[in-house]
Order: sequence, then C-alpha cells, then structure tokens
Amino acid sequence: MIAYAIQRILIAMLIVLLAVTTLFVMIQFVPGDPANVMLGPRATPELKEALRERLHLNDPFIVQVYHFFIGVMRGDLGVDLTSNRPVLNILIEQVPYTASLVLAVLLIALLGIPIGTYAAVHRDGLFDQVSGVVSVSLIAIPPIVIGLYLILIFSVQLQWLPAIGAGEGPWEIILHLILPTLAIGLTWIGYVSRLVRASVIEVLGQNHVKTARAFGIPNRRVMRAYVLRVALPATVTVLGVSIGFILSSAVIVEILFARPGIGKLMYDAVISRNYPVVMGTVLASTLFIVTATTIADLLNVMLDPRSREAG
Amino acid sequence: MSTQPLLVDIRNLTIRFGAVEAVRSVTMQVGAGRIMGLVGESGSGKSTLANAIIGLLPPAAEITQGSMTFEGRDLLSFSNRDWQRFRGQGVSYVSQDPMSALNPALRIGEQMLDIQHWNDGGRPEKMQVALNALKQVKMPQAKARLGMYPHELSGGQKQRVCIAMAIMARPKLLIADEATTALDATLEVEIVKLLKELQRDIGCAMLFVTHHLTVVEELCEDVTVMYHGDIRESGTVQDVFSTPSEAYTRNLLSCDPSRIEEKCRRLPIMSDLGLKSIADPERDAARIDQTAKPLLSIRNLDVTFRKPRSITDLISGTPERRVEAVKSASIDISPGETVALIGESGSGKSTLARAVFRLVPAGRGEIEFDGTDLLSISQREMRPFRNEMAMMLQDPIGSLSPRMPVGTSVIEPLIISGQSKGKDLRSEAIKLLELVGLDEGFVNRYPHEMSGGQARRVGVARALALRPKLVIADEPTAGLDVSIQGEIFNLLAELRETMSLSILIITHNLHVVRHLADRMVIMYHGEIVETGPTEDVVSAPQHSYTKVLLAANLHAKFGTG
Repeated sequence: MIAYAIQRILIAMLIVLLAVTTLFVMIQFVPGDPANVMLGPRATPELKEALRERLHLNDPFIVQVYHFFIGVMRGDLGVDLTSNRPVLNILIEQVPYTASLVLAVLLIALLGIPIGTYAAVHRDGLFDQVSGVVSVSLIAIPPIVIGLYLILIFSVQLQWLPAIGAGEGPWEIILHLILPTLAIGLTWIGYVSRLVRASVIEVLGQNHVKTARAFGIPNRRVMRAYVLRVALPATVTVLGVSIGFILSSAVIVEILFARPGIGKLMYDAVISRNYPVVMGTVLASTLFIVTATTIADLLNVMLDPRSREAG
Repeated sequence: MSTQPLLVDIRNLTIRFGAVEAVRSVTMQVGAGRIMGLVGESGSGKSTLANAIIGLLPPAAEITQGSMTFEGRDLLSFSNRDWQRFRGQGVSYVSQDPMSALNPALRIGEQMLDIQHWNDGGRPEKMQVALNALKQVKMPQAKARLGMYPHELSGGQKQRVCIAMAIMARPKLLIADEATTALDATLEVEIVKLLKELQRDIGCAMLFVTHHLTVVEELCEDVTVMYHGDIRESGTVQDVFSTPSEAYTRNLLSCDPSRIEEKCRRLPIMSDLGLKSIADPERDAARIDQTAKPLLSIRNLDVTFRKPRSITDLISGTPERRVEAVKSASIDISPGETVALIGESGSGKSTLARAVFRLVPAGRGEIEFDGTDLLSISQREMRPFRNEMAMMLQDPIGSLSPRMPVGTSVIEPLIISGQSKGKDLRSEAIKLLELVGLDEGFVNRYPHEMSGGQARRVGVARALALRPKLVIADEPTAGLDVSIQGEIFNLLAELRETMSLSILIITHNLHVVRHLADRMVIMYHGEIVETGPTEDVVSAPQHSYTKVLLAANLHAKFGTG
C-alpha cells in the first residue's frame, strides 16, 4: 500500500513536470509579444529588448523551463507584468475561491449516490424513471446555460440569491456559492446518479449479495458493506478524474458570475499575454487536478482490496 | 422413506415465472439429519425449489399453490424478519460458484462476523466462533485466513470458507446448490468428503442439488429426481440407483459417461433407450491414417508470457517477470485422429491450442501443419492455414453475437475468409446446420432462444463452415448435462468419420473424453507428463498425476457403481 502510494506520488510529480513543459512550448506559438502588450505601440526597440532580457524571453525555451522550475522550488513564480505583484501572492488570494467552488460541486455531486442507489433498488419504478429522465437532461445541458437560467430565475425574477461576485463574511460567501455550484453541480448529480445506479444494479445481481442474504445478514448491512462497498470504487475514480472537467467548467462559470478565482485570473492573463500569471495558474490547476486524481486512486485502492496488488 | 422426524415438508408446491411453471405441484420431504440429493438437468427446476426453501426466489417468481413447512412452521407465511432470523440458523446455503460467493471488499473474518447476527457475544467471541469453523473445514492456517481478502484464496479454499460459514450456526438444514460443480475433479472429491464428515459431526440434514450423479451416489442417502418441473422419482439412493422405476432415471443413469466402463464409439443419450456399448477397434483403426505424415506436429514448443514492468519496476530495476505456460511440449496428430489434451485449469492446455493458431507468441519450438512450419511464416501467410483449422470455443452462447441470427453467425467464417462469393449463403447455412442436426428453422433464431446443447451444435457448425482439416475443441462440453454432453461427443464422432476430421479436444475431465479420444496427452504445470493410446493411459497410467486424475473419477475412488 505504501509502496503503491509512493509510486502514485512519483507519477503525479512527473505529470506536473510534463504538463508545465508542454504549456511552455505551446505558449511560444501564441501570437503577440508580452513586451508589446506591456509597453504599448510607441515603445522604443531598446526598451522592448531590455524588458525581454529581464523576463528571460530571449533564452531558449528549455532554459526558460529550467528558470521557471528553479523559481517554483524557491516559491518564486515571477511577477505579474501588469501589477508588479508576485504571482504567488495573487494565486494565494485567488485559489480559495476556485477550490471552494470545486469542493462544493463535488459535495453536491455526492447527492447522486443516494439517488442512484434508490433508483437501482427500486428499478423501473416511478422514481427510477423520473430520475433517469432528469439526470440525462441535466447531463446534456452545458453549465453556462444552466447558470444563465439560474441567474434569470433566482437573481433576476425571484431576487433570492446574489448573482455577482463572491461575497464577504461566511454567510455571504455561502450565498454567493450556491448558484455557481448548482450551475456546474446539477450535471454532476445526474452523472453520478446514473453511474451509481448502473453499478449498484450490477452488484445487486452478484452471487455474494445472494449469499449474504442467504445467511440472514440484515438488509442495511447488506446494502452498505456488500453492495455499496463493492459498487462505489468505480464512482470514486470517475469523480477524481472529473475534477479536471469541473475545473474547466469553473473557468466559464467564474466569468459568467464575475466571480474571482483561478479561472477568471487565467482568462484575463491569457488575454493580456501576462505570461508569468498564465504559468502560475496552469501550475496551480495542474497541481490541483493531479492531487485530486491521486487521492481518488489511493481511495479506490483503500476501498477495493483487489487493486492493492496492482502496481 | 425414513423413521426420522420430518424437517422439510413440501406439498403440491407450484412456482411460476409468468406463464412458465418452473416447479409443478411438487411434493418432497427431507427427514432430519438425512442427506437428500436433488438431481436433474439444468432447467429442471431443482435450483428454483432450493431457493424457495431459503426464501430467495427472484421477484418474478410466484408461488401459486401448495404448502411448505420447516419443523412444522409454515414457511409461506414468513415475514421478511422471520426469514432473516431463519436463514443461517434454520437453513444455510452453499452456492454454486465459490469464486463469486464472497464479498471481494471485505476480509474473510469480517464476513464471518457479519453472518453471526444470531450471536449476542462480543467481537472476540464471534472471531473465535469463526476461527473454530475454519478449523472444522480443515482450512490450513485458519487464523491468518481471517485477515485475508477473498482474492487471496484459491477456489478450493474459498469453497471451504463458504462451507465454514454455512455450518457456523449449526443449521438444521444445509442446502448445497451445485457446490462442487465449478471445482476441479480432485478438489471435488475433497469437498464431498468434507461435506459428508461435517454433516455427520453436526447432525444437520443436507439438500444437495446437482446434476452430477456420481456425487449423489457417493454422498447422499435419499435422492429426488426432477425433470421439467416435475418430480419423477424419489427414494433411497440404493433403491433408485439399483432399480430405477422411471424411464427417465434409467436414462439419466445410463448417460453418465463415468458409469460406462468399456470404451464405446457412441455415448448413450436420452433419446436412445437400452443402447449397448459398440466399441469397434477396427473402424477406429481404419479411420486413422497412421502411415501418413502427422497433420499437426508440435515439437518442443515453449510459450512464455512476460508480465509488463511497471514504472517502479523500471526505477528499482526489478527484472521482467516471466511465466512459462508451456514447456517443451511435443504432440503429433495424424489425419483422422482424435487426441484429448487433459490437464487442470492453469496447466497450459488452452495456451498450447492458441499457440497453434498463432494467437499467442510462441517461443522456441516447431509447429508443423500439413508440412508447413507455422512459426516461420508471417501472420499474413498464416491466414490460409487458419481456414484449415477451426477452433470451437468454450462458451458457445458467449461466442455467438447476441444480435445476430444463428444462420448468419454460422456462415460468418465464409464471409471473413472471402469464400462467400457466388454461393447461396442461406442454403449454405442450412446445410451446415443440418450437418449438426439442427433443422432449417434455426437459421432465424437468436442465441438466447436456444438451449445450451443447441448452442454448442451451432458452435460445431461454425467451426466446420470452412471444411477444416483440424478442429480444436476447448472444453466442448463444460457445464453441460450428461445427456447433452453425450450428444455433442456423438456428433463429433460422426463428423470425424464423414468429414475425416482430426480433432484435438481440450478438457480437464478425463473420463468424459475416454470414449471419444484415440490418444490422450496429459499436461501438468505446462509440461506434457504422459501420452499414449486411451486404453493404455486409462488402464495403466504411468505418471503419478495421471493416477490422481483417474482417481478423481469418483467411481474409481470409492469403488461404487
């Protein structure tokens, strides 16, 4: 188990390294020169050259990658080109907004587990059919559409919930989280409930459940330890991988709700060719995704003893 | 039947699945402490009946008539709560497939605690009960097993755990539903002996559901024979087996290949009554062309599987792990000859067959087919040879597309090999199906509309579509009832004469192929340990493993029948 965990973490670090290097390469192909953006059209060539020199933009890209990672090791992610503040500080400010949104989405996605389980146990019943139709519809609608309608209904018409910003103070923060979370999360409730339903139905038909019943194990214990325990690892893995998708939805939803966060930061930075900030946000989101999938993998192994020997 | 008090009393019980009566007005009694064998072919309703006694009928099933009592208590009026208390203590259950009967996500010990809902003691006390039960079923290193997960145990050990769980509460009735069917022959003997001992120690009654007659004869005192939902005959094993009063029981007994001592060319099947053994060495000799070059000649074949290295292996420099599946195997098959390749699961016999088709990379050695070394040619050059040999797969229904009518499946090989041009495919399909004894109507049927035996026949027809010279049949009768098993072997025997086929049968069951095979090749842990004419191998086995296999035939072992 420990050896497996170490192996997973090593692989995770490798992925981060690869992802950031890839981005470095790709950024070279994006048209536009940060020196132009920063200094404006009337800057002298000497000024531009001096700035390029200061930002290491004339070095071969391998050297740039090297400088970047050396900086990361020292906690130095460079300086925001527009505000001249350290990127690390900006990230520390912005990450909590996005992290809380993603966590909130994951939490409400867990609602899919009881929904899916109930639908599976009462298969083809009214609840199963209704939840099936609703789930598939929710999966099919993109978060931005759901978000727009949520704003229309709950902010504009009913005026129950705030639509813009992130709020201050615990109560306000929670109120401001609700609509963005639902915009992304409704899809995931639907998705998780379909997944759980399918795997619970499969496990319910398995021989060991019949054996457990044949020995008179109480139904609640059968459902918990003999059905869900076997059915859930698959769902956990999917949720781990889904963090990437949730994060990319968050970019759109943060812009829609004018919410601060990594997504909005990344969007603004790309528009203004603010390379240090772009690199910082990519590093942060890569770390986030890789950590989440690694945790999901380890959780999966803890839940399913058979996969402990894999690796 | 017996003087003991009645434990289970079933009267006129009818169980329906929709319009189908799975169990039709059945009356059966099990005496306290007796061992009852419930025998019948698959689909005869025996498992449905067993499930009814433990209250685990599927929701679609409905009891429409009759009564069922256990020690005088009316089982049909039980509430869910009554059932839950009754299970485990009153009646317990050992299921057919030990591989899937245990929860893969819980340790053995936890599962054995869970089922002790009747035990009011604390955790240590329950653990002790579990440990004692494991010792009782002679589980080696019982204590350590409690902390293990099911996937860490072998099939035989899992079945021991299941049995330990079943006896833990000292139930009054133990239902074993095909409890030994999925096990290798040697293991089956062990488990049957164990069950017999345990039943004596605990003094419980046992209902042993099976289609395997020899097990019933060895284990049971009473027997009930079921056929299509009806009970055909019941009585003590001695009476029923020595003087069966029903024609069906007589046929069932005479269809069991392990009960036929002499080698015969044709196995008796349900439809022919009173058939005598017609061994015909002369015809056998004429069929096989001993003077010709062997059709298939395997020389010193090695097959090694490599386990891919993981990233940590690469970092830590762990060498590549290799598994030698086949070690220096040599087999010759003459034109027209039938050879049986026998070994336990995991002995490498299926791998050897796949190597002939170049489906697994063969290591060293030679495979010569009809004068060409198959290992020295490219996969492209291999294609025409694939048309000359055919593989009959183990799971007939699984190997047919569920969405394709049988008539299309059968001629698929013709289409794939490009030999379908200018042929009337429909009449070709009908011809093939007729060859295996299925009429024209089957062309439009789907796999789920056929019985297991019919699906096997389709498998045979498909294997013959390209008129191959060699058929390799991988466990052609695994999981079939004795009489259908006989039908399939008879079909193969007929076809090898009419089409002068060479056949390689792969099986783990020595005595079912005794009547069909000209020669036997015994494989053990990847090596061929014995080879020779069938009569010689059976009458004078040389290698100790062959002797074990022969002994595993329950008849020989217990000297009954």
